[in-house]
Amino acid sequence: MKFKKFFTLAFGFAAAASVAHADTLVIKGSDTLGAKLVPQLAEAFKASHPGASFKIAAEGSATGFAALLNGTADLAMASRRAQMTEVSEGTSKNINLHPTIVAYDGIAVIINSGNSIKGLTKKQVEQIFTGDIKDWSAVGGKPGPISIYTRNTASGTYVDFSAMAMKKRNYAGSAQKMAGNEQIAAEVGKNANGIGYVGIAYIKASGVKALAVDGVEPSIKTVQSKAYAYSRPTFYYTNGAPTGLAAEFTAFTVSAKGQKIVQQVGFAPIQ
Amino acid sequence: MSSKSIKQKRGGFFGLNFDQIIKYFFGGNAIGAVVVLLLITVFLFREGANFFPQNWQSVELYRKSGKEYVDNIREVVNDHTALSRYLQDLRERQTRALLKSKSLEETNAALADFDKFNNAFDSTVDDLRSLLGDLTDATTAIEDKFKVNKNMIEERSNLLKAGKKEEAAKVTVQDIDLKKEILPIQATFPAYQEKSAQLKKALENLTATLPVLPVKELQPRLEKFKNLTQQYLAGFPAVEQNLKSWDPEKPVPWYKAISTFFGTEWVTNSYWQDWYGLMPLLVGSIMVSFIAMLMAVPLGVCSAIYVSEIAGAKERNFIKPYVEFISAIPSVVLGFFGVAVLGETLRWLSQQAFLKWVPGFPMTERLNAFTAGCLLALMAVPTIFSLSEDALNNVPRAFKEASYAMGANRLQTIVRILVPASLSGIISAVLLGFGRVIGETMVVLLCAGNRIEIPDFTQGPAAFFQPVHTMTGIIAQEMGEVVRGSIHYRALFMVGIMLFLISLVINFLAQKIVQKYRISIG
Repeated sequence: MKFKKFFTLAFGFAAAASVAHADTLVIKGSDTLGAKLVPQLAEAFKASHPGASFKIAAEGSATGFAALLNGTADLAMASRRAQMTEVSEGTSKNINLHPTIVAYDGIAVIINSGNSIKGLTKKQVEQIFTGDIKDWSAVGGKPGPISIYTRNTASGTYVDFSAMAMKKRNYAGSAQKMAGNEQIAAEVGKNANGIGYVGIAYIKASGVKALAVDGVEPSIKTVQSKAYAYSRPTFYYTNGAPTGLAAEFTAFTVSAKGQKIVQQVGFAPIQ
Repeated sequence: MSSKSIKQKRGGFFGLNFDQIIKYFFGGNAIGAVVVLLLITVFLFREGANFFPQNWQSVELYRKSGKEYVDNIREVVNDHTALSRYLQDLRERQTRALLKSKSLEETNAALADFDKFNNAFDSTVDDLRSLLGDLTDATTAIEDKFKVNKNMIEERSNLLKAGKKEEAAKVTVQDIDLKKEILPIQATFPAYQEKSAQLKKALENLTATLPVLPVKELQPRLEKFKNLTQQYLAGFPAVEQNLKSWDPEKPVPWYKAISTFFGTEWVTNSYWQDWYGLMPLLVGSIMVSFIAMLMAVPLGVCSAIYVSEIAGAKERNFIKPYVEFISAIPSVVLGFFGVAVLGETLRWLSQQAFLKWVPGFPMTERLNAFTAGCLLALMAVPTIFSLSEDALNNVPRAFKEASYAMGANRLQTIVRILVPASLSGIISAVLLGFGRVIGETMVVLLCAGNRIEIPDFTQGPAAFFQPVHTMTGIIAQEMGEVVRGSIHYRALFMVGIMLFLISLVINFLAQKIVQKYRISIG
């Protein structure tokens, strides 16, 4: 939730103030990565690197890129690739966006567990999120107006989903924008007619179930084999190749130990 | 001689005497406040004002990159989708009717024929849609190329400015002639002609024989659908004409930069064209504030009347601090309360059978304009209460005494004398309460639902139970993702300026009303 992030941030500031001379890594960006995975990686990293501290703010991939371009972060978490305009914006400011793939993720379409629908086709998913279909009866469910929950525009998942599932069409105007994966899961869990999408690490939230898309269930396995339609890599971005603490942290993330945490949290490890 | 002896001697602190120190201390603080305020205002306007030239450029690029041309075709596809939605709606109605006597499986089976028709209708536009997809990709690529090139030019000039000639020479800058770039786009015109002709033929064939619906009463809707399809087809020649006469070099008038800002679409971070239209946000903000005021005005004003005119000293000493205490609750706490408790409770209430008569019930979303409005009312009550009470207390005692002397009872005195006499103060209290509410951020961000679509006012009062997005909410939500100096960044500042102007007007009105209509005391 927003508050959690706020506290992480506040805690980060407090920590930064108390150990001002120690190494501090400022990480900003994707909520998908930053809500669970990166804080856990940071904890594990700190065990082997005493004195290192982290400031993590997870408010969407776009915030990470903006922070790198504005020079207010050392490392950006992103659930999408940098857009062409972001890259060129960077070059004009002498900032070279450098990606490192750290994990694979699938975007799961979730509905309320009381809904009788078991799966949708890709076409139906597109129609629902673009607003072409407004009622559950159109996809064979119990009649009821569909409530769409999406991430907000800062999110990489928002942009990725539009590209992967909606043929880059715009979201329905009726979609409600939520700040994070957990908020989407919470709203869908409380709304019998709700539908939303979250990273597969979040499908175990209470009151929701993930839908099979074109007959394939979202799971770490189907994401790894790329059988699941909405799979994508996730990244760390740095200004040029990572250096110093950022390099150590990136190396730790892609190491066997780091990838074990990746799998525990619910992402698919890189091979 | 005596005047000389009381003259104070110079010295003390930097040659200032005590009185002067006091004067400069207070004066300095006042100047500090004024300067800070001025700086903020200047900053706000400086950051925001550049929005219009940038927006003008963006609209111009929208035309020059051929996106406008492609949007003509998009319109055709979207209108087809609208017809498709009409069919979806018809299916929904049939399902509802059939479910009364059949199971879900039987219903779906009974609708198989209709579904076939539905799918056939859907696929008629596939060819045109794929053409549109290609054109979308092509124009986006052209636009990206142009933007990237612009950044390169900027980089080169930055390097040149810094005196790094070698590096500057390495930056590859292309000469992009947009007019030439979009020729292939315009060259697809015959393909469009062919595909739209095919679409027309397919639709005519399809609607020639309509399926028989399992629900007889709904058959006329299908007939209406046929008419709508014919109307849709009748619009084709006009689109073709538009495409033919479309000219990328036609200059975009300057007022477009302003009119799009007051438009009805706020679309950001999209794969197509971003639009920064204030309307959905303004409507959302005003709706939420209106709901809040609807509740806060009676509560605030009536409790002020009670406390100042009717309550005894004991009651007054309890109620007054109590109401004013509400304003001590941080708005984020109220917002959290709204998400965790109020939203859920209101939805549960709206699902109760005895409240079915209320328009908009049962609510589909727990976070909506009404939920946010309820909480904002709480924030406005203390402001309205305190200021109204002051206004009532300022009515000269003689008014009240005269009224009683004439034989009026308490109710008559309150309604006929006290309230009219303090009306200007009460109105300004209400206005200031409104100003407090419209500028509130945390509660609306958490509880208003953040839906960008303007609520559907054709549904009457039910629109108040729909989610909205607000001016303050959008700034808080999108602030983090913008790059400094980008058009999106400036658009958010423009929204801030609009909020600033609204508050300014409200405060100005509140002051004017008090000054102009104050009843002379004495």
